[in-house]
Amino acid sequence: MPLATESMVLNMGPHHPSTHGVLRFILRTDGEVIHHCRPDIGYLHRGLEKIAEKVSYAHFMPYTDRLDYLAAMNCNLGYAITVERAAGIEVPPRAEYIRVLVAELNRIISHLISVGTFAMDMGAVTPFTHSLREREWVNDLFEELCGSRLTYNYVRFGGVALDLPDGFLQRLSRFLDYFEPRLRQYNRFISKNKIFKERLVGVAVISPKDALDYKLVGPNLRASGIDWDLRRDEPYSVYGELDFDVPVGGGAEMGELGDCYSRYWIRIREMEQSVRILRQCMEKIPDGSHWNRSKKKLKIEPGEFYVRTEAPRGELGFYLVSKGGLKPHRLKIMTGSFSAMSIVEKVGSGLMVADLVALIASLDVVAPEVDR
Amino acid sequence: MQKQAILERIKRIIGEADLQWIDDQPGDPYLIVGKEKLLRLAIYLKGDPHLSFDTLLCLSGVHNMGDEDEIEVVYHLYSLRHRHQLTLKVILERPAFFPHFYLKIDSISEIWPAAGWMERETYDMFGVHFVGNKDFRRLLLPPDWEGHPLQKDYRESPVYRDITTTREEIDGIVVGFQE
Repeated sequence: MPLATESMVLNMGPHHPSTHGVLRFILRTDGEVIHHCRPDIGYLHRGLEKIAEKVSYAHFMPYTDRLDYLAAMNCNLGYAITVERAAGIEVPPRAEYIRVLVAELNRIISHLISVGTFAMDMGAVTPFTHSLREREWVNDLFEELCGSRLTYNYVRFGGVALDLPDGFLQRLSRFLDYFEPRLRQYNRFISKNKIFKERLVGVAVISPKDALDYKLVGPNLRASGIDWDLRRDEPYSVYGELDFDVPVGGGAEMGELGDCYSRYWIRIREMEQSVRILRQCMEKIPDGSHWNRSKKKLKIEPGEFYVRTEAPRGELGFYLVSKGGLKPHRLKIMTGSFSAMSIVEKVGSGLMVADLVALIASLDVVAPEVDR
Repeated sequence: MQKQAILERIKRIIGEADLQWIDDQPGDPYLIVGKEKLLRLAIYLKGDPHLSFDTLLCLSGVHNMGDEDEIEVVYHLYSLRHRHQLTLKVILERPAFFPHFYLKIDSISEIWPAAGWMERETYDMFGVHFVGNKDFRRLLLPPDWEGHPLQKDYRESPVYRDITTTREEIDGIVVGFQE
């Protein structure tokens, strides 16, 4: 006689160690297998788009920090580039290099958190403490630069708020010299760890077609084998002058194309490339002004702009509609985590419960960026 | 393809009626399309090998309350294959009486599955109904929330489930948003 099975509704979250913020999943399971997975979001909705319509352009900058608190610099930068394009503000070359410098540093620490928590979700707690140790160092550098460690509010329209302090580049160089061997140590610890690989290779595969259909962006898209990086393909700021590779899934070192391990490994490889970019920036950074500052109140002529930049969690798009005046008429924020969450329902159905945790961790979803 | 070539190709298939190309303002030019033609155009934009807009970058709404009260639904499309971009707009009027009869548009979530959630968010924030979206309900706000916050004339209900949503003045300092 076959064993009778029964489907059960299981609630996961909103407060669950693996949800990286506040996310909730309603799972219909049969034993360990998920038949249907329904994400429920909105717990961190703060109405940022409504706030943007009520405050002036410059006043919205601190709110972009809260958009994705693990990569505040990149959110600052995306918003600043949008407004600069709309208002036609020039940025001095030194400021451009400082921006790329801080954006890539932020990308490193954001990916550190991502791979650290990924390992922790898979049951390896030690790598997380190691990645936090490295992140502390960068947080100290950022604190020196702009006074805060998490929400920086550092980028301004037409430059950056403060010039680099004395000796900053030397200290940054010391960090990079320390960090590169550490990255290789991580690879020995977890990336090449047999248990870790066996756990993740072939789990929750996202095909290239699904990745495009659901508009996955950034590392998640590249892990599915689509070679696309805004920094290289539609260069903004000074990325056009820098030399770096874009890691794509599907190589010999990777797991199966588009699985959890590819998404993890892409992030490790991107950190290596960020170090390369940082070293080039440190060499090329010119002297001069750090802020093309305007005393006038910023007014933008009627028009509309959609500007995308490459944040650690993929494309960050700002759709700005201006009707003239001191405030935006509409500011829509399109984030990478949002589309990553929307694919969970499709990919998550059919997985084991424990693999859903791996899927969410590998997509590197950050709740405030989903809910805005 | 260049913007003009894309436009020519669209006109050849769909016809010139109900299409309006706006490029007289700074920023991205866009194409206004009648809501009856949206679905046909969308299928064609994705399917035609010369256009093949494979990615829906962004789907959002804009509410204009000037001389006319209207909600625009804006689609930003991109083709990774040909590396070109197109902005589509559908304009829905919002009359004072029974607006929900007018704020209706075909869903494109069958064509670009990414639109599924974006349409739900646009409904949540602007009250536009997307006919044909299979899982159509609010996305970010609770299901029993009243109103659609990104409409320009939205006023928050003072009480939600017996919880006040506004704070009182503290020593003359007004807390919260002021117009």
